[in-house]
Amino acid sequence: MSQTTAPASRPQPDVLAVAARRRLRFPAALRNPLAVTGTAIIVVWLLLALLAPMISPAGPLAQDFERLQPPSAAHWFGTDQLGRDVLARVLDGARVSIILPLLLVVSSLLVGTIAGSVAGYFGKVADEVIMRIADLVFAFPTIILAMVIAASLGPSLTNAVIAMLIVSWPAYARVTRSLVVVASRSEYVVAGRLLGNSPFTSLGKDILPNIIAPVVVLATLDVGTAILLLAGLSFLGLGAVPPTPDWGAMVSDGVQNFSSWWISVFPGLAILTVVLAFNFLGDALRDTLDPRTADAVKGRAL
Amino acid sequence: MLSPFRRIAGIVGIAVVATLGITACSAGSSDSASSGGKSVVVDSSFDLKTADPNREYETTGSIVAKALYETLLTFKGDDVTKPIDGLASYEMNADNTVLTLTMADGHVFSDGTPVTVDDAVFSLQRVQGIKGNPSFLLDGVTVEKTSDTTLTLTSAEPNPALPYILPNPALSVVNKKVVEENGGTATDADGAESYLNGASAGSGPYMLESFDVASQVVLTKNPKYTGDAPAYDRVVLRNVQGPTQKLNIQAGESQVALDLNPDQVAELDGSDVTVLSSPSRYMIFLLLNQDPSVSAITSNPDFLKAVKAGIDYDKIVDLAGEGSVQPGGFIPSLFVGAIDASDGNQYDAAAAKSALTASGYAGEDVTLNFPNDITVQGLSLQSVAESVQAQLKEVGINIVLAPAPVATELDAYRDGKETVGLWYWGPDFPDPSNYLAFTPGELVGLRAGWAAGADQTVTDLATAAKAAVSTDERQSAYAALQEAQNASGPFVPLLQPAQNVVTSPSITGVSLNPVWTIDLAGIK
Repeated sequence: MSQTTAPASRPQPDVLAVAARRRLRFPAALRNPLAVTGTAIIVVWLLLALLAPMISPAGPLAQDFERLQPPSAAHWFGTDQLGRDVLARVLDGARVSIILPLLLVVSSLLVGTIAGSVAGYFGKVADEVIMRIADLVFAFPTIILAMVIAASLGPSLTNAVIAMLIVSWPAYARVTRSLVVVASRSEYVVAGRLLGNSPFTSLGKDILPNIIAPVVVLATLDVGTAILLLAGLSFLGLGAVPPTPDWGAMVSDGVQNFSSWWISVFPGLAILTVVLAFNFLGDALRDTLDPRTADAVKGRAL
Repeated sequence: MLSPFRRIAGIVGIAVVATLGITACSAGSSDSASSGGKSVVVDSSFDLKTADPNREYETTGSIVAKALYETLLTFKGDDVTKPIDGLASYEMNADNTVLTLTMADGHVFSDGTPVTVDDAVFSLQRVQGIKGNPSFLLDGVTVEKTSDTTLTLTSAEPNPALPYILPNPALSVVNKKVVEENGGTATDADGAESYLNGASAGSGPYMLESFDVASQVVLTKNPKYTGDAPAYDRVVLRNVQGPTQKLNIQAGESQVALDLNPDQVAELDGSDVTVLSSPSRYMIFLLLNQDPSVSAITSNPDFLKAVKAGIDYDKIVDLAGEGSVQPGGFIPSLFVGAIDASDGNQYDAAAAKSALTASGYAGEDVTLNFPNDITVQGLSLQSVAESVQAQLKEVGINIVLAPAPVATELDAYRDGKETVGLWYWGPDFPDPSNYLAFTPGELVGLRAGWAAGADQTVTDLATAAKAAVSTDERQSAYAALQEAQNASGPFVPLLQPAQNVVTSPSITGVSLNPVWTIDLAGIK
C-alpha cells in the first residue's frame, strides 16, 4: 500500500516484482477482520501443536498430579480423573485433532477431485459409475455412515480417518465434476484438444487452473466439519484410543465426570475456536476466489 | 418434619382433590405431605424389569422384592457371613446335601392369611419352574414338603452355599393362593407376572401401591407385617440418574441417593448430607491369558509375576475413592473366605523388573482389552485401564489399550481370546463357592485360558475348599486357595469399588447389604 515510491524510470520487471511481493505480504482479499482473526487463530494453534512437547507443562500421559483439581496457578486447566494435566493434554491433543483433519481434507480433496475430473471429463460409463457411488454415500447421514465404518473396522485413529475419507470425498467429486463438465466445453479446451493435447494434459493444463479455486474454498470450509467429525468419532469411542489425548475423547471423559467442568470445557473451547477460525477463513476465501457466490451473498446481504 | 406451611398446603390439597372428586392417581411424591404418615423418597438408577420376586434378578428388582416379601432365611444388616432365620429356621445335614427348613409361626401375608409351608414350597418351585433369570440359584435342588411345618431342599452334590443363597430376594415367599388365582403356576406357563406388577402378594414390611418400570415404584406400609414396623409409611423409589441424584439430595427433594460415584460424593463434602461408603460386592480384576496360542508373553509365569508386582494397588484404590478397597484374593472382603489385602499381591517395582528380565520380555506390545461403555459403581473401567497402563509402563511393560463396547468385547472375553482383559465379577450369591469359577477349567478360568489340569496345586486346593464343611474350615480352605492363585494364577484382583449411599440429615440410619443393596424398611 505504501510501496508507491518506485521511480518512474525503473524498468518494467521491477514493478512486477514489487507487485508480486506486495501480494505475498497479505492477499488483498483476506484483508478483512474475520479473515485476519481466523488466520491468526489457526497460526497460533498450528504453532502450539508443533511446539507442544516444548511448551507443555507436563507430559500428556503423566498421571503425576492430584486427581480432579480445578484450574489453578499450577494447573491452568485443572487435572483430569487420572491426575493428568488438562492443559498438557489439550496442547498435545491439537496434534491429533487439528493435523489429522487437515490431512484428511487434503486427501479427500485429492481423491474427490480426481474422481470428479474423470467423471466430468470422460462422461458416459465413468461418470455414471463414479456418480452413483457418490450418490450411495450421500444417501446416508454422514456421521452415521462414518460411525458404522469406524465401528466395523475397530476403534483407532487410522480407521476413523479411513471412515471419514470414505464419507467426505463425494462432496469434492460432485463439485469438481460439475465444474469440469462446464469447463470442458469451453473453446480453449476444445482448441487445446484439437492441437493434440492428451486428455490428461488438457485436464491438468487447461481445466484444473480454472476450477481449483471453488474446490479449495470448499476444502477450507470443510476443515471445520472434519475436525468436528473426528472429535465426534473420538467422543463415541471410535476414534482415538486411550490414553491418546484427543479433544473429542477428552470431552467424553468430562461427561463421565460431569461436575468437574474443566475436563470437558477446555477441549470443547479448543474445538470451538479452531472450527470457527477455519470457517472465517473459508468464508473470506470464498468471497475472493469464488466471485459468483460472493456476489450472491453480498446481494442477499444488501 | 412438617412445617405449618406444608401442612396447610396439604389440607388445601386434600380439599381441592375432594372437590374435584378425583380419587385415583396418587402416585406423585408431591402429595406425600397430605397422606398423613411420613414418607421417604429414594433415588436410584433403575435396571428394573419386574416386581415379580421370583422373576427379578436385577439390583432394583431386589430392592423392591426385599421390601415387599420375606425370604426363608435372611442376613442381619450387612453381615453376609452368617445366614439367620427368616420365615424359617434351618438345619444342614453333615454332608451338606439336605437342608431342612422349619417354618416359624406367626408370619402373615398382607391379606391376613398365615404363611405356610405350602406357600414356601410353591414359591421355590415357582422360581425353578418359570425358568427366569434367578432360576439357576436352585439348579440341582429338589424342594419337598416333609410335614406341615417343614420342607427339605435336597441336592445331589454337597451344596454348603444353599443357606447363603436362600436370603436372595428372588427366593421370596409369595402367597400361593393369591398368585394361583391370578394365573400363577410353578411351570413356565406361569402368568402371574402382570398381577404381581400391580399388587404384591407377600409378607414383607411394605405393599406395592404403584409400579412403573421406567419411572417410579411406590410402596405403602403393610399393616399386617409381623416384624418391626418400618419408620416410614410410604416409600417412593424413583428412577434418577447419578448427576441428578446429587442435585436432588442437595435440594432436599429426595432423602436417599443410591448411585453417586466416588467423585460426586467427594464434591458433596461440606454439604448438609450424610455419606455412607463401604466396599461393594464387585471385584474388578485383570486376567492374563495362559493359553500360549493366544499369547506367548502373558502365559509366561515370570511375566505374570512381573505384572502382579508392577501394579501399584494403592493408586488404583485412590482412583476409586473413599470406601473402596483392594481385595486380598478374588473373594471380596465381605464374604467368608476373604483374605486381607496385606496377604494379597503387593506392589514391588524392583521385583517386577527382575521378574520381567527373567521372562525374556523384550518390550513387545501387550493388548489390554476392556469394555469402555460400562461403569462399576460409577467407576469407569477405562480409568482403571489407563492407570494400569501407566503403572506397568514404569516397570517396562508396554500395554496397548483396546477398548470396545461391552456387547462386542463380551464374546472375546467369554471365548477366552483376550490377551489381557479387565473385567469385573458380581457374585450371584454371597458365598465363596461362587468364586470357584476362578479356578482352572472352570467358567472364568477358561476365559483366561486356564485349562483344567493347568495348575494342579490350585485345582487340589479348590477341591479341598469345595469339600470343607464348617465355616472355619471353609475360611482357611478358601484363603489357601486364593493365596495359591495369587502366586501362580492368571487373575490379578485389583479393586472393590465403593458402594456410596448419601442420605439427607433427616435420615438417621439405613440398612445396606451386598445382596439386596438397601433394605427400604430399614430407613430410619
